[in-house]
Amino acid sequence: MDESTKRLVQRLMRRIPSKMLKITLEKWGRLTEKQQREIEAVQSKRALTEHLLSFCEKNELGVKRLTELEMIHIIDNPNQEMWYAFRLSDPEDDARSVDLMQFKEQFKSHIRELVSQVSVKIRKHTDEAVWIRIAWGDTYSCPNHLKPTYVVHNLQTPYVFVTSLTSKKKLMLSQALVLSTRYQSLKDANLSGRKLTAIRDLLMRQYQQVFPTKYPSPLTERNQTVTNPHIEREQAKPAERRLQLACEAFGVGMLPQLQSAVYKLETKLRDHTDRTMREREEPFRCVVKFASTNLLESLKNCASSGIASTPVTPLLSSIPLKGKNYFVITENGPGPSSQMS
Amino acid sequence: MSLLKPFSKLPSLNTANILLVESEEQFQQSLADVLVEETAFTVNVRLAKSLPLPKENEESRPRIDLVVFIINLTSELSFQSAEASLKYLDPGYLLGKVCFMVTKARNTSVPTERLDAVRKLAAVLSCPLLFAEDQTPDGVTNARERLLSILKVSAGLVPMATALYLSNLTRCTVPPDIDQPSFD
Repeated sequence: MDESTKRLVQRLMRRIPSKMLKITLEKWGRLTEKQQREIEAVQSKRALTEHLLSFCEKNELGVKRLTELEMIHIIDNPNQEMWYAFRLSDPEDDARSVDLMQFKEQFKSHIRELVSQVSVKIRKHTDEAVWIRIAWGDTYSCPNHLKPTYVVHNLQTPYVFVTSLTSKKKLMLSQALVLSTRYQSLKDANLSGRKLTAIRDLLMRQYQQVFPTKYPSPLTERNQTVTNPHIEREQAKPAERRLQLACEAFGVGMLPQLQSAVYKLETKLRDHTDRTMREREEPFRCVVKFASTNLLESLKNCASSGIASTPVTPLLSSIPLKGKNYFVITENGPGPSSQMS
Repeated sequence: MSLLKPFSKLPSLNTANILLVESEEQFQQSLADVLVEETAFTVNVRLAKSLPLPKENEESRPRIDLVVFIINLTSELSFQSAEASLKYLDPGYLLGKVCFMVTKARNTSVPTERLDAVRKLAAVLSCPLLFAEDQTPDGVTNARERLLSILKVSAGLVPMATALYLSNLTRCTVPPDIDQPSFD
């Protein structure tokens, strides 16, 4: 067993928490029952690593099998990485008929043409998503298995989710993906977050939404609790209206968990007292970032409690509406209106 | 502009009506729940986010005997909202029928200037200033007891005592050196 394999095992053991190790190894299914039982008896991480190393040597499990183990762990725990969403655009006529086998073959051959040293592993998960693990190398070095890139793509949908990637590798990945899914281009969807399911639900609109109606909303029925006849809310109607508007903008129930929203402003400063700033040709750049453990829920609460004005400004409501959490706001020609792109 | 007036309606027998104004609408709900538990007399609670109160409730609204402004010290917005609401209150209320209740005063993120501002506001209007703990059930019960004792007087349920008389004893006063820099 060479040095790099050893390091891969050590890294894997560091990443997988002890309590999940048993199930993950069972799913992997490369150890014999006796070995499995032996591992379960061991407590410390260091001893576990030693055991796994010796078993790998005994069973002749190489890098290929170890990457399988890593994939099983990542598929089960996708919320430990930062995920970036991309959108495929302009499908060709046969884009709808791409099946898994065809995609697998095409993707592998295309990416091998672009990068000489690359290791690709593709797995189909139960929820219809295709998981791709790519370990990149360059012309002179072997694929680096310590820093792989994960790609998740649901066939027949235009969305692709990718973990950390440099711009050069992004180019190659986008080319291989575009060719094998029969689309014409891959664009950044400007959405990122730590929860893969959350950003997927947001893009595919798989959360409970509320639509504007003229008639008394079902929301009031749902919120009706037994109230004391001696307690009366003076401003119950405006409060109800605010809640309705907030729900229309952000949805109800469990909202997808986003961690941040970034607004990059490239607009001119309009201040009549400050002459130097007003006469500057260059736009005034600044970045506004909102961060929270559940951003959409926080924004909804701001709107429904009256801290943020309702109807909700398009700047905030376009996070769920457009499925983005990175906005660049630029000057829209002469005039006060600004444009979001 | 519709002013809230203290004597525009007739009182009803053995009843006291209290209006809780809080811009965040959190503490007022739990406070209202314990206030109505009073059995010696009937307590009606009206909750509002800010003044002025909506016109369409004018008919159903009883005579308000005590207006309580709840200010969360950790939020500037809460203080500003209370300050703005005061304009929609008839000056007659200031004769003992208004009180301020401050919450989260023990929070470390509270700037001392804000507490001073609230104290000054209460002193200028000669209203009592109460402090309450909104997180614990004990704190809520304490706040209830204090409010009920003021409410009883201002609703005229205590013989020989009036709101004006009580407010002379309970109103907030500002120490004369509040504007001086402190050396501690």
